[in-house]
Amino acid sequence: MSSKIARYYPLIPVYAAYLILFLIGRNVTGMWQLMAMLVFYCAIGQAFNIFLGMTGYVDFGYVAFMGIGTYGMALSISHLYQIEGLGMWVILIGAVLAILMSGALSVAVGAVALRLRGAYFAIATIGVNEGFRFLIEGAKIWGGSEGIIFSGQFTHIFGRKTASLISTTWADIFVILVACLGAFVTLRFMLGKIGYALMALREDEDAAKVMGINVTKYKIIAFITSASLVGLVAAFAWGLKLTYLFPDEIFDISYTVECIIIVLLGGAGTLLGPVAGALIYGLSKYWLTIILPGFQLLIFAPIIIVIVVAFPEGVVGVLKRRVRGTVLEKFIV
Amino acid sequence: MIGIQLAGNLTQGLILGGVYGMATMGLSLIFGVLGVVNVGHGAFIMIGAFTTLLLFTQLGLSPIIAIPVALVIGMALGFFFYYTVIIRLTEAPELASLLATFAIGTLLEESVKFTIGTEFRGYNWDVGKISLHITTLPMSKIYAFVGSILIALLLYLWFSKTRAGTAVRAVMQDRKGAGVCGVNVNWIYALSFAIGIGLTVTSGVLLTMFIPVGINPYMGGAYTLKAFVIAVLGGLASPYGAFFGGLIFGLIENGTYTLFALVPSLEPFAMTRFLSFLILLLILLIKPTGLLRAK
Repeated sequence: MSSKIARYYPLIPVYAAYLILFLIGRNVTGMWQLMAMLVFYCAIGQAFNIFLGMTGYVDFGYVAFMGIGTYGMALSISHLYQIEGLGMWVILIGAVLAILMSGALSVAVGAVALRLRGAYFAIATIGVNEGFRFLIEGAKIWGGSEGIIFSGQFTHIFGRKTASLISTTWADIFVILVACLGAFVTLRFMLGKIGYALMALREDEDAAKVMGINVTKYKIIAFITSASLVGLVAAFAWGLKLTYLFPDEIFDISYTVECIIIVLLGGAGTLLGPVAGALIYGLSKYWLTIILPGFQLLIFAPIIIVIVVAFPEGVVGVLKRRVRGTVLEKFIV
Repeated sequence: MIGIQLAGNLTQGLILGGVYGMATMGLSLIFGVLGVVNVGHGAFIMIGAFTTLLLFTQLGLSPIIAIPVALVIGMALGFFFYYTVIIRLTEAPELASLLATFAIGTLLEESVKFTIGTEFRGYNWDVGKISLHITTLPMSKIYAFVGSILIALLLYLWFSKTRAGTAVRAVMQDRKGAGVCGVNVNWIYALSFAIGIGLTVTSGVLLTMFIPVGINPYMGGAYTLKAFVIAVLGGLASPYGAFFGGLIFGLIENGTYTLFALVPSLEPFAMTRFLSFLILLLILLIKPTGLLRAK
């Protein structure tokens, strides 16, 4: 029994980090926004890691899933606001819609692209984000390039006071919960059959195939999970928080770059990695915003190159090696 | 009426397609020789565009002079990034080189944004135009088209007639075999990467003739996507396949633009961008080795 629980020890440092962020945000005046940003980075890092970290495949159009997740929330609120008595259910429906829509897009892309090997997959994904954004703008779907502004409807449902409370506080708390869920799912995958299958295919796809592992199936499972999670994060962190969306903002490729930085910095394929990466990246971005606003990518692009060339394991990867054989070993995975 | 318009747009598409093709040859060369997918491709096109813009507006030099300048800058960048980054990744998993080239692209974009800014810029190189019955073509575009064909021909001659070109082809076919026969594979890698980047930066010069006010640090993203569609059309590892892929893509893009414009509820420009993505997925689904050249 105790060994079964011990398998979940690695969640402790992750959840402790989230709790500390939450407590700092609640108790130190003026820190809530910064903490919310850090948790947002943790959450998208966790989600991205499930795919990149566990499969070794990279999706350059990842932000498309965040975009479509935001649409899920926006569509729910802007279409259902007239139905009386739905209240909080609108948010739940929005969340479900976000998961379904980002999941459906990932199935469509994955079904074509995941049958292909690494380079071809990456090539296919480069267009997903642009392609999808231009479909929305070109065919004038969901308001086309004008986006959706649903602040009015949102206030209509909840009243001014509650609406503002949801946007400023609850949206961020939901993001924390999704970040917790992301870490849990990652660990479940690592401990279970999926994790072993993914590890095998990451090391040697041909060998894994020959051993009878349905590699495409496991790649698609990881892809859909990762996409739905990040869609949900964006539904809360962008949809519910801002109550408007514009296609050119929610399909901005720099979020894909941020996901890559966070996961690589922290250590791809580790549980604690995305959290470490998110904290390092988020705090540096916050600090750089003061001294050199808007140029964090200029600093971090060469850092990615250095990581890829010199230490591909990332911070947590190195840490993991250091603590091998000590008590901490059980907690850092 | 619509027939004439379509014919006119297809002519424009063919001209643009030639330049697209040339803009993709570098990508295919690098993939063919090194097996590295240059995800930062578009950023190098952007460097070429800015080179042209700065030479024209600051020094008053014509874009024709920008071509050799861009080639030299491109090859210098190519050698630099090969010996600092790529050399360590040719044996690493694919993921490493994908991420590294992506980061190189981001680095270039952010550096240009830092030094020049994000506004859209342009310049006007007026060298007259020809009026055909169906459309009017600025001479600058025709020069760009002729330039791409000449560059493609030069590359062909270099490949088939010179020792270095033959060595590159040998490495493309069988790296180990070429090494055994005395080819310095590492040097061929460096040279191919540099030529590939050089071609890409040069293509940025030619592409500026088609975008009067579209020069911006992030302009490359659209060309990365187009280049991948074209490269996959042409078989990814073949520079000539890429050139013909470009011609086909230019025709498709301009032809469908005319057709999309007929539907009032569509925004034709955005739809052509979506279509290029759709074509990419379809080719990958049906025939990932390329339509023009089967492996």
